[in-house]
Amino acid sequence: MTILNYVIRRIFYMLFVIWGIATIVFFITRILPGDPVGAILGPQAPQDVVDKIRREYGFDKPIYVQYIDFLTKIVRGDLGRSIATNRPVIYDIGERFPATFELATSALIIALIIGIPAGIVSALRKDKGIDHALRIVSLFGVSMPVFWLGLMLLLVFYYMLGLLPGPGRLDPYIKEPPRITGLLTIDSLLTGNIDAFFNALSHLILPAFVLGYLSSAYIARVTRASILETLRQDHVKFARSKGLPRNKILTRHIIKPSLIPIVTIIGLVYGWLLEGAVLTETIFGWPGLGSYLTRAMIYMDYDSIVGGVMVVALIYSVINLIVDILYVYIDPRIRYG
Amino acid sequence: MNRGVKIPSLPWIISIILLILLIISWSYFLMYSRQGGQTVSLATRPDTLVIAMDISDAVSLDPAVAYEFTSVMVVNQLYDKIVDYEPPDLAKVVPAVAESWSYTPDGKTWTFKIRQGIKFANGDPLDAKAVEYSLRRVLQLGKTAAWLLQQFIAKPEDIVATDNYTVVIKLKESVAPDLFLSALAFTTSAIVNPKEVEAHASGGDMGSAWLTDHSAGSGPYILEKWERNSQIILKANPNYWRGKPAIDTIIIKHVPEPATQMMLLQKGDVDIALGLTIDQIQQLKDVRGVKIQEYPVLQLAYIGMNVNNKYLSDERVRTAIKYAIDYDGIIRDILKGGAMKVQTIIPYPLLGFNPATPYYRDVAKAKQLLAEAGYPNGFEIELAYPAGSHPQEEIAQKIQRDLAEVGIRVILRPMAASEMYQKYRQQSLQMVLAGWGSDYPDPDNNAKAFGDYRIKQLAWRNMWYDNYSADLVEKAYKELDKATREALYKQLTDYILQHGPYVVLYQVIQFVAMRTWVEGFVPDPSFGTYLHLYKVYKEPVLKQ
Repeated sequence: MTILNYVIRRIFYMLFVIWGIATIVFFITRILPGDPVGAILGPQAPQDVVDKIRREYGFDKPIYVQYIDFLTKIVRGDLGRSIATNRPVIYDIGERFPATFELATSALIIALIIGIPAGIVSALRKDKGIDHALRIVSLFGVSMPVFWLGLMLLLVFYYMLGLLPGPGRLDPYIKEPPRITGLLTIDSLLTGNIDAFFNALSHLILPAFVLGYLSSAYIARVTRASILETLRQDHVKFARSKGLPRNKILTRHIIKPSLIPIVTIIGLVYGWLLEGAVLTETIFGWPGLGSYLTRAMIYMDYDSIVGGVMVVALIYSVINLIVDILYVYIDPRIRYG
Repeated sequence: MNRGVKIPSLPWIISIILLILLIISWSYFLMYSRQGGQTVSLATRPDTLVIAMDISDAVSLDPAVAYEFTSVMVVNQLYDKIVDYEPPDLAKVVPAVAESWSYTPDGKTWTFKIRQGIKFANGDPLDAKAVEYSLRRVLQLGKTAAWLLQQFIAKPEDIVATDNYTVVIKLKESVAPDLFLSALAFTTSAIVNPKEVEAHASGGDMGSAWLTDHSAGSGPYILEKWERNSQIILKANPNYWRGKPAIDTIIIKHVPEPATQMMLLQKGDVDIALGLTIDQIQQLKDVRGVKIQEYPVLQLAYIGMNVNNKYLSDERVRTAIKYAIDYDGIIRDILKGGAMKVQTIIPYPLLGFNPATPYYRDVAKAKQLLAEAGYPNGFEIELAYPAGSHPQEEIAQKIQRDLAEVGIRVILRPMAASEMYQKYRQQSLQMVLAGWGSDYPDPDNNAKAFGDYRIKQLAWRNMWYDNYSADLVEKAYKELDKATREALYKQLTDYILQHGPYVVLYQVIQFVAMRTWVEGFVPDPSFGTYLHLYKVYKEPVLKQ
């Protein structure tokens, strides 16, 4: 079967999985004790106001009726309405996601730049000084609490040294580019606003580095392990004995066969970054998906939670699909059919 | 098929490009921000005020809808109201859009004389028609905060502009004048520009969707931009009737993390930080260039006791608990002095504030009362509080320890807020550690909540169906004479102090930290509802 058939089949599975997850989360949120309307309006709100708003949102209807309403709305692309913001969930997520996407992608780029070379060097120079040094650095990366690292970097680079800007995506005195993609860097480039571009980039550096460093640790470790595994195999010795040039051996015979686990972990890391890093967002005042979803969960904001979970499930499914397709290009032995 | 992945060259090229970009952006940033070795930031511009706070609670800036702390604070800068408060004095209402008013002897019909010469920000004149439109709009939209006016006014037609500068309002029944004026001073009663609002109306929403993030007021500031969870930018209104404010631009920056707020403040990149913890305030006390203001807010922390519970139904048991708590210890050790010892249900500085604090930790007395009630060996009881919240968690644990000493074994029940408030409203909690913030600066708000079970607020949630208290509340609600009203509230607060199902622990003191160059900032005990930022100005940096 062709790649296209495979992709179409996978998309159907994906929709099924997302529907399944949405259904489970839908029922869990309704069954758990607690009233989101009362929580969001606060203890002061008079009872009749709380009841009225509950009726407006349809939360007084029987749960199966609510579920049917939910399904019919999903088909139209309506993810419901957030109680906390009183706006359609799809609107809220659409507003928040670009900020998260920009941060996550920048973090991933940093993670790849740091992690993959570190893993390769570590594997090739196994047990030498550089290997130990890099492994210690990556150990810090997986162990360090993101909250602490973020605050520490902010303290050093912003507060003490004044080298990098403080929290937020853009300084207030910079003219913000019109919203085309929602990514400040891209939008400012598209509209030729160089000041905004560099300002947005400078604001990205710290939070992206925090997330990037932490992610690079995982990527480095998997890279190292995978390359070591490949090095144990005979074909490397064979290639060397044939007299092939060193960098050809490196790229074609060592790195390429090791890519499967590396691409897998990159997919997982990117998915994790895209679902929003709430702690990083809190420290750096980054209006992303993570803080939105966390707030929704604390207040049991039903539609926001279900809508948000569905978006996250979609993100992971799409990334998994892309990773699976990449496998075909990486390893010619893999065929889908 | 063998697709060669060129790993060495391409990624290295990309990395080098990115590195160059990073270095360029860094030097750009340095160029912009550095001047003479000192980081010059927005905050030091004399015409701009930068405030750091958490703005994620704001839902709408339409005055008829706004009810969250952030929204109300911002709305107060954008609009005028008929009458207003001048913090820190919350006992007296002052003229604003209305320059004078009067009411009939039965207190049911009010006449307001509208000040002439007020213009909306876009130049349109503000007259009685605008007042009529704005107040009717609140009732017609019927959003969350509408109850403030609905409790007094039956229908929109009871608000009439009888001529260009006179508005007459008919009330459902007679109420204490201060109380009605208090409702008119709240941002819900703000005056919007009917022409602009109707021009943006869609689907019968009376312009509410547009007003969510645009302003159409006569207040000292205009809403320039609201980026949710990022920042709110206000610009001075040149047509403001009191004169253009000294600060031309106000930037309210979303900084949810207190540690980050503190860095920004110390660096001078923000002028005012709202939301620092008491520990951070202590640290800032000795920092040059930063000054602290402390002020009580209309927020009380209390323990609610469900009178239906078999132990708590006996008043001697409730009194025993009141004598078992270590109030001073809570304020001193847990709150580090960030609270006022208050044991009555109307906060300072409202009319009716009762400074009596007869309860103190007396283990012997508490044990004696318990024995008299028939529980010499104490009993078990549950205490609910919002999970993971501070200082509630620490206070709950301390209460557990304090009550253990008199024989009462407290089972702590931390709960998610959504669950706790639902159970509380269902009257199914035994004891609860909660707080009450006054919605507006009239004592009726607290009196009703704590004293009148008929309105299904706190008294009802704790199943304290006390008619004497409820009747007193309703009497004070209608009382036209201020002195008599004050006496009624004294009676009420004393009564609840003795018989009520509450242990009021303290009144919250809040702190605001700001740079020393900020002048004219007067904190508002009512959570910023009446904050007047147009009075703020900055002393030039050179003088510091």
